Amino acid sequence: MSGKPYRLAQGGRLIDRSKKVSFTFDGQSMTGFAGDTVASAVLANGQRVFGRSFKYHRPRGVVGLGSEEMNALVGIGEGPRHEPNLRAPQVELHDGLIAQSQNRWPSLNFDIGALNSKLSRFIPGGFYYKTFMWPQAFWKHVYEPMIRRAAGLGKAPAGSDPDTYEHMHAHCDVLVIGAGIAGLAAAEAAQAAGARVIICDETPRFGGVADLSAGTIDGAPQLDWVHTRAKLLAEAGNVHVMTRTTAVGHWHHNHLMLFERVSDHDPEGLARGTPRHRLWKVRAKHVILATGALERPIAFANNDRPGIMLATAARGLVERHGVAPGMKGVVFTNNDDAYLTALSLKRAGVAVAGIIDVRQGTDSAAARDARNAGIEIIPGHAIAGVESGYGGLSLSGVKIAPWRKGQGRVVNESRLACDFIAMSGGFNPVVNLWCHNGGKLTFDSGLQSYRPGKHHDRIQAVGAANGTMDLAAALAEGYAAGEAAVKDGEPKAGRSKAESAPQRPLEPIWFSPATGKYNEGNKHFIDFQNDVTAADLELAQREGYESVEHTKRYTTFGMATDQGKTSNLNGLGVLAEATGKTIPEIGITTFRPPYTPFSFGSIAGSLTKNLFLPVRRTPIFRWHKAQNAVFEPVGQWRRAYTYPRAGEDKHQSINREILAVRNKVGLLDASTLGKIEIKGPDAAEFLDRVYTNMFSTLKVGRCRYGLMMNELGFLIDDGVTVRLGDDHFLMHTTSGGADRIAAWLEEWLQTEWTQYKVFVTPVTEQWAQFAIAGPKAREVLSKLGPDFDISAEGFAHMAMKQGKLGSHPVRIYRISFSGELSYEVATPANLGRGLWDAILSAGAEFGIEAYGTEALHVLRAEKGYIVIGDETDGTVTPGDVGLDGLVSKKKADFIGKRSLEQSFLRSAGRKQLVGLLTEDPKDVLPDGAYAVRAVKDKPPMEMIGQVTSTYYSPTLDHSIAMALIENGRSRMGETLSFPLDDKVVKAKITDPVFYDKEGSRQNV
Amino acid sequence: MSEAQLETALTGREAPGDLAIEIRELTTRGMIDLRGDAGDGKFMAAAKDVLGLDLPTAPRTSAAWGEVQALWLSPDQWLILCPRARTEELLAALRQALAQIHSFAVDVSDMRTIIRLEGHAARSVLLKGCSLDLLSPDYAAGTVRRLRFAEIAALLHIVSERPDVLDLYVFRSYADYAWEWFLANGRAVAAIQPFGQQAVPAV
Amino acid sequence: MLIVHCPVCGAEGDETDFHYGGEAHIRRPATQDPTTVSDAAQRDYLFMRRNPKGLHFERWRCDRGCGKWFHAVRDTVTMDFKATYGITELPPRELMEAASGEWAAFFKDKLDAAKPSRKGKSS
Repeated sequence: MSGKPYRLAQGGRLIDRSKKVSFTFDGQSMTGFAGDTVASAVLANGQRVFGRSFKYHRPRGVVGLGSEEMNALVGIGEGPRHEPNLRAPQVELHDGLIAQSQNRWPSLNFDIGALNSKLSRFIPGGFYYKTFMWPQAFWKHVYEPMIRRAAGLGKAPAGSDPDTYEHMHAHCDVLVIGAGIAGLAAAEAAQAAGARVIICDETPRFGGVADLSAGTIDGAPQLDWVHTRAKLLAEAGNVHVMTRTTAVGHWHHNHLMLFERVSDHDPEGLARGTPRHRLWKVRAKHVILATGALERPIAFANNDRPGIMLATAARGLVERHGVAPGMKGVVFTNNDDAYLTALSLKRAGVAVAGIIDVRQGTDSAAARDARNAGIEIIPGHAIAGVESGYGGLSLSGVKIAPWRKGQGRVVNESRLACDFIAMSGGFNPVVNLWCHNGGKLTFDSGLQSYRPGKHHDRIQAVGAANGTMDLAAALAEGYAAGEAAVKDGEPKAGRSKAESAPQRPLEPIWFSPATGKYNEGNKHFIDFQNDVTAADLELAQREGYESVEHTKRYTTFGMATDQGKTSNLNGLGVLAEATGKTIPEIGITTFRPPYTPFSFGSIAGSLTKNLFLPVRRTPIFRWHKAQNAVFEPVGQWRRAYTYPRAGEDKHQSINREILAVRNKVGLLDASTLGKIEIKGPDAAEFLDRVYTNMFSTLKVGRCRYGLMMNELGFLIDDGVTVRLGDDHFLMHTTSGGADRIAAWLEEWLQTEWTQYKVFVTPVTEQWAQFAIAGPKAREVLSKLGPDFDISAEGFAHMAMKQGKLGSHPVRIYRISFSGELSYEVATPANLGRGLWDAILSAGAEFGIEAYGTEALHVLRAEKGYIVIGDETDGTVTPGDVGLDGLVSKKKADFIGKRSLEQSFLRSAGRKQLVGLLTEDPKDVLPDGAYAVRAVKDKPPMEMIGQVTSTYYSPTLDHSIAMALIENGRSRMGETLSFPLDDKVVKAKITDPVFYDKEGSRQNV
Repeated sequence: MSEAQLETALTGREAPGDLAIEIRELTTRGMIDLRGDAGDGKFMAAAKDVLGLDLPTAPRTSAAWGEVQALWLSPDQWLILCPRARTEELLAALRQALAQIHSFAVDVSDMRTIIRLEGHAARSVLLKGCSLDLLSPDYAAGTVRRLRFAEIAALLHIVSERPDVLDLYVFRSYADYAWEWFLANGRAVAAIQPFGQQAVPAV
Repeated sequence: MLIVHCPVCGAEGDETDFHYGGEAHIRRPATQDPTTVSDAAQRDYLFMRRNPKGLHFERWRCDRGCGKWFHAVRDTVTMDFKATYGITELPPRELMEAASGEWAAFFKDKLDAAKPSRKGKSS
């Protein structure tokens, strides 16, 4: 194949022959020119095979002009910068580019998987479902690994991506998608009327196929007009122009995502740190779809051989890149457009063996031009097969036969020598985006394709995307749409006029018969990327998959990464002929985003690594970090879990911290606790409504523990609320519940008890808050210089004070979650670190130690205190956890009260909170371990409850746990069995309060 | 004991030189969250007596009188800005003036971190993380808007325009996250010029 | 992603700037009289929700704006918001008349009571 001059001596308007570009393809060094694509450059080097197909491993080459390419998928770049499955005609060449073919082993030209092709009569449509059914165990261990190795596309990159990605938001009056003739006209009209306009195009250039189409605008070549419009739009202040940008999806209320390839083509920019891709989230008042149309392949026998491409693609190679698709070609068409390809080839000096036109007669302007150029036209014929050698790697000729619609097979055929085929089965408007958000389609018999119908969004299609193939009409449609999209806009842009020759109607050809039968060496590919043939679709019909949606899933037709861009209509055509229905009767499958695949990097944007998840830091975070604390996530907070010292493991440090609190004094950063100030004449009554217990009776300056339920009667939060004044409370919530509970209170005030005069203001982050807990807590406090009485009598348990500790303004609450003498001190957040340091210095002589959240949890568990989210799971009532005493009998109504009276919440057999002591004191039960009614050899065993909290208690030198057990409170003293993987742990049911049942330690 | 030591969330953090905008933490501002009924003439008058300004009642606006500013947050909520040193005095005055009126004033000076963004690229950088139409005339100087910024809640105050000075208020615990976000998204090499004069696309 | 409009502060933005609060115009029986709430009434209040094709009356909160709750009427077929209105207000008359199911029953009383003319606020 190599050695032939595929690069034409002249032509190729996009390439710069003075700038040579070096690159490699499968390790082989090649050169191209600036302006080449990977497709054009590799073809210019005489390499026609780009990869192997998905299922049959057949050799495949370039078929398309741009993003519709379904065959020539390549991997670009190496190592962490490797990106698989890129479409070769879309990839711009740059110096040093590394391209790799895909899905071949060991090499492109010899591929072991191609054996599948020989076996293909045994792997028809739906073969996964048929073949690999039995035995069941083989699926996981034999069939699936085998299929995964043999099928599939490119490989994922190795290592973490060194490049950056980002998001961008934009709003506009008019978003124009596609910068071809119709799109440019629409943008021009909209911008002239003063609208904010965004116009984007998937390619690196504006103009669409203006350089490949017939006709003039204002009497001059179309490209001249495109030049002036591109300049006008770029220089207008109200337009944002974007190239290399694909609109990948359209969602409700005109929300669109645009995928911008910022520097794939610019490795130097990438090295400087420019983002590689950018994902735009655009909100447009109006959307104008000017996405053009895509050419259809034709289903003839072995239409997938390298060298068979779309007529527009062949034309693009010649006109844009000066590359010949081969030495001698035939054009196979059912329409006039492909005649332009024959003319292009001829002009460029490439031999054209003939134009095979399925239509009878040659009476058209296109045919006249072709004849004048000396090109033979063979009307009323179709390609019946191709001659190829070297395992399908090369093409030597085509077999043609008279075309009679509906015939099963051909008998009399003739031969034309050629080494490439340019085919055109007509054009499909690109309606993918139209359909993403529910747009309806209508079948156009002239096009033999679907075009946009109704849509409930403000969106309009123009030009070829709307099925308007005539140049002048497309231009006028563009202007009209741009003007109409601007509210009250006066048409201000002078309209250009276009002229082009009229075209003869096309004649549909969905299936071109061959001499042999299906699968007798003949494959009529419909979906090239998923290797679905016309025979597969027909078989699916015969097997009863009548709905097109079922056929799609059974055969995987239209489900590859190209989302059926080139295959959808052809498939519908084959199904229609196979069933005797019309295409509209067959229906159409759903187009889904994305239009073309886009990178995961762009989806993540900059929100990776340290920005992946917002992490909340307390005012003491830096100190924790400096102490090498182990952190644990609590909501988005990072809290210090424990502070291991040199030589300690986590268990040792946790035990040390616990004993410090029990025996001396400890210091905890509790800043994450939710804090909500509630003020107003009805504040007390409001709290009576939201808590299960009574708050209107709380005295000013006192604290009370409260329970909160939802309307279902299940616990949702708890905490200590303080009365700061007659009409003023400070509510503490769980750390994770702060925002949720503030919103909950607002909801009730705004939507149910609107008569209450209450203001709710969350102040969580205003305060740094610490617990000083342990027998020496009061002594530490005293050292800090309080300007208030801290004596046992002067500052009783469950009281609060405001004042100063030395220079620090504080609110201080004598409350305890550890069971020890304990003060919670709050100071404004920016003063927090200073106070923290001061407490540590003051406490040094008493052996103060910082303790983390795990020590906190063990301390509370020793006391039998519940934690919302540990002992509760959204289905637990106050009664279940033994806190019925906190559910008011006096209050007429509070949230959840009525639900508690429902029979299923009052019935016997509910799980109740109990304590557990394991028989072996060193045996710590796993969290969530199940208690069973009776131990059996193997599951299933009847479960009667589960462990909710479980720890080793250094205070008691015994494992302790809490559990929710069926009728637990009436089973005190019973021993329960907890079957684990390797043993059965036995534990005795006890009271959940393990330590200091009288509560004397906190009342000193 | 010595004076209490102030440590704001971004103490010690300096912006690198490769950004398209200038960013810094404002550390000397006091903030009061004020609640009250804008329809209550007594409340509005009492607030004006203390603050010297009419509380703004038009959504998303602000008012200023000397070194005191009021940012509209809600029909019954304002954020009062003042020099940090004056916060206590102002708060006490408000509470006294409003004692007989259903209202609530609370010091929230430490609850939020203020990141000031300056430069012509300030809005386009912010647009990488927020979906508001910041380029529309709706966002003129004085505008105040709560928003979802990156993955967090924030409050934006357009202090002045041309060149833009924007104050972004985030909850204190998210300050590091927001700061890091600007380091990643504010890089000069990633700057975007939305609309306006642009390079002519190839044809 | 939907665009939502807050009738309280006029803010307009992505639905992620708002908080969806489920079906609207549900009465909490215990607020009326906590002593006489039947099991059936409590069940309906807690669990029974409608899923109409067409007009859906619902609650939203201007979560990243003024923080206020409001009502909205959305067409579940086209996703168009037909109106937004205050959390203590009723929908515009023509939407009350177009309502289906239990909403229709709920609004019927209001429409009758409001005769001969009642103006709903539309936005």
